[in-house]
Amino acid sequence: MKNKTFRKAEPYIWILPSIILMAVFILIPIIFVFRMSLSEVSKAGIIRGFSGFANFTKVMNSSAFKLVLRNTIVWTVAVVVLSTVLGFILALILNNEFRGRKIARAVMVFPWATTLVIQASAWKFIIDTDYGTLNTLLLRLGLIDQGINWTPTAEAYFTWEIACGIFVTIPFVTFCVLSGLQSIDTTYYEAATVDGANYWQQLFQITMPLVRSSLTVSTVLNIIYVFNSFPIIWTITKGDPANHTDTLVTYLYKLAFYNGKQGQAAAVSVIGFTILLICASVYMVYTLRKGDE
Amino acid sequence: MKKLAALSLILSMMCGLAACGSSGGGSSEGGSDAKDEGGSDGKVSINVIAAQYGQNTKTWWEDFVKDFTAEHSDIDLTVEVESWNDIYTVVNTRISNNDAPDILNIDVFANYQADDLLLPAEDFVSKETYDKMYPAFLEQSDVDGTIWAIPDLASARALYYNADILKDAQVEVPTTWDELTEACKAIKAHDSKIYPWGIDMTTDEGQAAFAYYTWNNGGGFVDDEGNWTLNSDKNVEAIEYAVQMVKDGYTNSDPANDTRYDLQDMFGAGQVAMMIGPNSIPTYIADGGYSVNYGVAPIPTNGGVDSVSAGVMDRFMCFDNEYSDAELEAIKTFFDFFYEDERYSEWVLMEGFLPATISGGEILAKQDESMASWVDIVGSCNFYPTAKTEWDDVKQGVINVEQQALLGGNVKELLDELQNEIAE
Repeated sequence: MKNKTFRKAEPYIWILPSIILMAVFILIPIIFVFRMSLSEVSKAGIIRGFSGFANFTKVMNSSAFKLVLRNTIVWTVAVVVLSTVLGFILALILNNEFRGRKIARAVMVFPWATTLVIQASAWKFIIDTDYGTLNTLLLRLGLIDQGINWTPTAEAYFTWEIACGIFVTIPFVTFCVLSGLQSIDTTYYEAATVDGANYWQQLFQITMPLVRSSLTVSTVLNIIYVFNSFPIIWTITKGDPANHTDTLVTYLYKLAFYNGKQGQAAAVSVIGFTILLICASVYMVYTLRKGDE
Repeated sequence: MKKLAALSLILSMMCGLAACGSSGGGSSEGGSDAKDEGGSDGKVSINVIAAQYGQNTKTWWEDFVKDFTAEHSDIDLTVEVESWNDIYTVVNTRISNNDAPDILNIDVFANYQADDLLLPAEDFVSKETYDKMYPAFLEQSDVDGTIWAIPDLASARALYYNADILKDAQVEVPTTWDELTEACKAIKAHDSKIYPWGIDMTTDEGQAAFAYYTWNNGGGFVDDEGNWTLNSDKNVEAIEYAVQMVKDGYTNSDPANDTRYDLQDMFGAGQVAMMIGPNSIPTYIADGGYSVNYGVAPIPTNGGVDSVSAGVMDRFMCFDNEYSDAELEAIKTFFDFFYEDERYSEWVLMEGFLPATISGGEILAKQDESMASWVDIVGSCNFYPTAKTEWDDVKQGVINVEQQALLGGNVKELLDELQNEIAE
């Protein structure tokens, strides 16, 4: 009897440490942020009392917020979609037998294994107009006479940041898809070949459905990572000029620690949380349901 | 069940974002909790958070703690050195958790004072030490007639020019804006690859650009009564002039992203001919291994205004953690020890700054002639109005105005908007 009770409780005992950890490091800070977003907070960070939705209205009425929200959507969609497409293609290539495949796979890990701040600094160093390596290279090769300004506008900066974001995200997608590809039984392809299916038919009828679960995982995780990504934008532009390259995360950081508006920063944080919650839940429910079917 | 598990996993991952808005983690090196008066060994403990000025700061404080503890074995001193990137996060997090440090070394104080968190300076510094400070510096920490913080060091700004480039382009060192424009034109004509003028309008220090141009056009952040005058005609004219310099192609290509350090590097490398910079540039240039032939001159002005240097001053403040007499004495001892003339001179020289005490100024001026002129400059320069609680908003606001103007915005409208926002 005693043994039976223990067996019933056993799984919960095993997951208890992680539940405690999640509660302490995730749940409590979230409750704090929600409380802060509904409070009047002094510049030194002291909560002065309940202020209803004042922080939310202030944030939403600011002209910068609309721009920042638009940037965040562009940033997340562009990075996630393009890195998923490119990562998928790369996984297909790396799944083939060829000489040096192991080396190619190892090289793929580099951008992923390097800290984002280092990556972003390297990109900044490459594209800099005055001392950038890209201009130096082109000058040395004699292709240009004078350094080109690669970042003449805020939009150009943002595009470079998106490119950097894609570059560092591709390896994750590639490895997720690659693990999915390797679990596909080769007999499916053999059978399809016998039935006369061409490469594209095999890709869309066999490969895609079978790696869908890997793609779902990588896409959902990427939406969250990219949406929350701070280092690339902060290192390259700090959201400058005039919030034109800010995303919600860099914007709320500036609000909290440059402007001393922690209540409003918490409100931005809650807004971002809600957006992510909706997007990720819809996507998860949709794909899991489809998987069940 | 699987769906539920997956959703809960996603939820927990997203919390990274929500948690981001709250208190960012601070790296503490065993900072003591609140006040533990007369711990088990009967010692009084003081904890200090200090800003990291450069590579030498941490070692300097480590030596300081050793010397201090050797002389005052009854005081347990802990000093946490935090980078400028982290210090505001760390301090605000500590304050929100009712764990304010005893002593803080940082640039601003008004927000803490507004929350009644600080002690008046005269309560935590002995009279002897207090009297060492330049009165003009102490006034920068005056709110309603009380001084809330004491200066720890200062720096001043001036015009740096590359003497060789100016000579080759056959131009004199400019003293007025008209001369500056002409000089830029001549340098540009002489060598189109050189940026004649360096401007930094970044989030890092764009407020300094606002100060350089407005103060030297007879404008500024506040009027004589201390009221905000951000949209004054003089200010509009000054910012329009600076932005026009960028549009005319006389400056570095990306003022919204080129920080002062980028400019200093370009100046050292001979790519920027003139820039306004701090007194620490010679140290920076020497450390960077540059060999540029440069000179220093007053910042060019407009409309017959006297040249005004921009001063930057950092401070020490003491949080009101309900100290006992013994603790307050220990804090006073700390400051007496810190401001001992010789030790204080070492502190100032450590990262190439300027002294904030009269005796420190005298000692350094005697030691180094080039320092003497800087000591004079810092005694007469203007400071940011950091004693006002709106300063954070004004600082970010003027940077935003500059960057919007670079993107084509109307300076007058932008400054009007900012003035209205601040006045609310």
